[in-house]
Amino acid sequence: MSTPPALLEVQGLTIEYLTDAAAVRAVDAVSFSVNAGEFVGIVGESGCGKSTMLFGIAQLLSPPGEVTAGSVTFRGRDMVRLSAGELRHMRWRDFSVVMQSAMNALNPMKSIGAQFRDALLAHERMPADRVKERSAEVLTLVGIDPVHLHSYPHQLSGGMRQRAMIAMALLFTPQLVVMDEPTSALDVVAQRSLMLKIRELQERLGFAVIFVTHDMHVVNRYSDRVLVMYAGQVVETAPTEQLFGQPRHPYSRGLIEAFPSVTGPRRELVGIPGSPPDLAEPIKGCRFRERCPVAFAACAEIEPALIDVEGAQVRCLLYSDAGVVGERERSGAPSDG
Amino acid sequence: MAEQHHSAADPAAGQPLLRAESLTRHFRVGGTFSSETLHAVDAVDLTVNEREIVALVGESGSGKSTIARLLAGIHKPTAGEIYYRGRPLRGLRSRKDMLWYRGEVGMVFQDPFSAFNPVHRISHGIMRNLKLHRPELSAAERRAEAERVSDRVGLSPRLLSRFPHEMSGGERQRIGFAQALALRPKLILADEPVSMLDVSIRAGILNLMVKLRETEDVSLLYITHDLASARYVADRILVMYAGKIAESGPTESVLADPQHPYTRLLLSAVADPLDADPEFAADTGEPPRVINPGEGCRFRWRCPFAIDACHTVTPQPRRIGDSDVACHVAGEPATHAAGAAGSL
Amino acid sequence: MPGSELEAPDSGARAARRRELPRLLKAITTSRKATIGTLILLVIVFVAAFPGLIAPDNPQAISYTPNAGVSWSHVLGTTSLGQDVFSQLLWSTRQTLIVTLLVSAIATFLSTFVGVTAAYLGGVADRAITIVTDVFLILPVLPLLILLAAYLPPGVTSLTIVLCITSWAFQARQLRAQGLSLRNRDFLVSAKVRGERSLYIIFAEIVPTMTSLLAASFLSLAVYVVGFAASLQFLGLGNSGQLMWGTMLYNAQQQSALESGNIWWELAPGFAVALLGAGFALLNYAFDEIGNPALRPVKKKRAARRSLPRRSRP
Repeated sequence: MSTPPALLEVQGLTIEYLTDAAAVRAVDAVSFSVNAGEFVGIVGESGCGKSTMLFGIAQLLSPPGEVTAGSVTFRGRDMVRLSAGELRHMRWRDFSVVMQSAMNALNPMKSIGAQFRDALLAHERMPADRVKERSAEVLTLVGIDPVHLHSYPHQLSGGMRQRAMIAMALLFTPQLVVMDEPTSALDVVAQRSLMLKIRELQERLGFAVIFVTHDMHVVNRYSDRVLVMYAGQVVETAPTEQLFGQPRHPYSRGLIEAFPSVTGPRRELVGIPGSPPDLAEPIKGCRFRERCPVAFAACAEIEPALIDVEGAQVRCLLYSDAGVVGERERSGAPSDG
Repeated sequence: MAEQHHSAADPAAGQPLLRAESLTRHFRVGGTFSSETLHAVDAVDLTVNEREIVALVGESGSGKSTIARLLAGIHKPTAGEIYYRGRPLRGLRSRKDMLWYRGEVGMVFQDPFSAFNPVHRISHGIMRNLKLHRPELSAAERRAEAERVSDRVGLSPRLLSRFPHEMSGGERQRIGFAQALALRPKLILADEPVSMLDVSIRAGILNLMVKLRETEDVSLLYITHDLASARYVADRILVMYAGKIAESGPTESVLADPQHPYTRLLLSAVADPLDADPEFAADTGEPPRVINPGEGCRFRWRCPFAIDACHTVTPQPRRIGDSDVACHVAGEPATHAAGAAGSL
Repeated sequence: MPGSELEAPDSGARAARRRELPRLLKAITTSRKATIGTLILLVIVFVAAFPGLIAPDNPQAISYTPNAGVSWSHVLGTTSLGQDVFSQLLWSTRQTLIVTLLVSAIATFLSTFVGVTAAYLGGVADRAITIVTDVFLILPVLPLLILLAAYLPPGVTSLTIVLCITSWAFQARQLRAQGLSLRNRDFLVSAKVRGERSLYIIFAEIVPTMTSLLAASFLSLAVYVVGFAASLQFLGLGNSGQLMWGTMLYNAQQQSALESGNIWWELAPGFAVALLGAGFALLNYAFDEIGNPALRPVKKKRAARRSLPRRSRP
């Protein structure tokens, strides 16, 4: 019995910032896959590399950031090795990107309709009436009245702008939409409304989503699968229910428990005191050990590998024999998928 | 002044520490000849008692940060008055009077990256506070005091000689509290102190706030958009919408049994989808109109229970249970029955 | 106030501080323009400090044949009075440099004070100050000069006054713009909330964050002042007896040096002025890079790592 190949397969992806001063490995041999129509959430805090990885996947890195190892295979083609021309053909048609702040991504000097037209014509020759038709179509899809094609970004509310960004990302009905914290700048009601809309569109149009965020609540509610990142590595990945029902990695657990809740019993909040390690320095052993409440001696010596544990994958010595070394991971050999 | 009768932690003194009465702040927008006024804060009544943590909760555009700035004396009210220990702020004219008030009320800012001057050491603000507000201290005593307050916020005094860019966001926010503590204040205004911090670090700061209330005999006004953290730290909660207070009361009552439709909307947005209030499912979070809003309830455009009166009469706060609610329809069986089952 | 804070021994902080000065030096040495500029200035400062070490003669000694041509004993010839041009040039450096630096300093201070205060106070005060600044900006300089020349005694003091009056306004606008961008930063609101006076905030909180901008301002102003001072003296505002490059130009012009073939007497001070101006302008490049890290060159480590090969472009 054969399973259909994954839509996106990231293998041993390593991204470094190469400067005179140091080589900082922002993403260290990350591997995961995304299937068609799946909603994958990538969660982590500042400095974990999630945004860098997203940029790397979308081939949007600029110097001094560079992919120095690994592959990003999308529909059978390794995007890292494609030429600029080939990439451009794929952009927006097969995959598109939604950025964190619409105000930064939208041109304040142009109307929404003009920007949609630019995006459409950049990737396909299209008669003017088809351009207008398609632009109105996508705006309606996201719940905005097409009359706003004439509006300028500053005339729309924050929530509407983000919706416009999503509409723009759907112009060619891509198979994969990559989103970098699109709801962080929104208030909670607008956020929920936008997430519901994204899920609705996803179910309707069938595209896969990679959603990068720091907000565990959003990931819990809307994603199918979750990757938890810390200091450039994936520390745990599991189907959402499993991750939140039974978080295995101490960081995942700590992160989930760091969110106070509005309902339910009041409990003491602990958080995870400390800061992530400096990625410019070489790190021995587990990167989380300095902040880990359950670290033991071996954690300082052995770097844990990502290991299968009952449907999830965890990078923690608690789940492996102490003798397992992380060398296989670090050499970038494809070990997981 | 419904706030005055009701205060959960009513001290023997009886008089609230800080009381705002009909506090209003408008900004003129548009050009020189425009008649458009932005009603950032409108007729707000607010009380903070001694050793109390009060949360002021609202989304962007609610006016909560403007209130912080009014209470800190950065803006002057367009109307209304602020009473600190019974003294109206309007009466503080001389520099000496203003310095006195500033020594009683400290402020912690939202952004740990811009709250500190990058060219000065992190101890700069603490030392200046000590020099300005506790001039009786000698240089050695100032140094000792700086060490004491940094210890109180859980930081080693060694960090005091660092520059801001050498410290993490969480450490800087702690210094922000230390700076305020150097005043020996009675009230600390904390303007979204954790929203720009990583989630794993927030708990430390929230716990610090609760601890300070116990050990330093200080009240805190915690301004935030996050109901969950408000619940964690606050004794009382005030929910703001479009420049006005929609609902206020003891934290647990407001969150367990919200009366104002806006409070219920907020709760449904953060609640588990299974528990979410179906009445508010369709709300897209459009911001309120605060420019020349006119009479009537400002939430009426989004409210599923709005009646005619909501369009013409601005609701005044009235007591429902333990809370004060500014709503015409709250408490009515029709609005309440649908909501009560959904919220926890 | 800086310096009175806790000085707890902390190697981390000290190490970071130590990086500040070397960063300036590094910016100067890595930028070729800045290095050249610094060298030019160092040479000129040396000449200004120790003219006697290089100049062969007393600049005012009327001891040689007037209008003698270029020779080994007079590398730039002599003036119409028989003075060695080269010596005069060298000895004039000091006064020229002093006036330049003095005027630049005063004007920078004025423009900082006015610009930042306007930005900080905002509202009506800002508008009033800006109007005053604009008036000074558009003052027609030459008519003003003629007016002042009639009332002020010719000499260095008048020159300094006139230069200060006419040069502070330009930078004031720029510094005001910078002040405006800082205006709502939380640390300034924080200073206000703790009760600091406005003057304190301006000079102890705002201005210290603008040091590289001030340095750049100072240097741009210096370029302007060097040229303009010489021009004013050339037109006769200076005291012709003063030892400055501008007065050399004036004297040479009065004696029709160019027409009579004694070209170096007129050209040499002109080149000197240009050189000094260039020195300041080139050094300014280093401050551009410090002030705006985005201008710093981003070099990638190519030797150790190779980026993954891409298919060649079709």
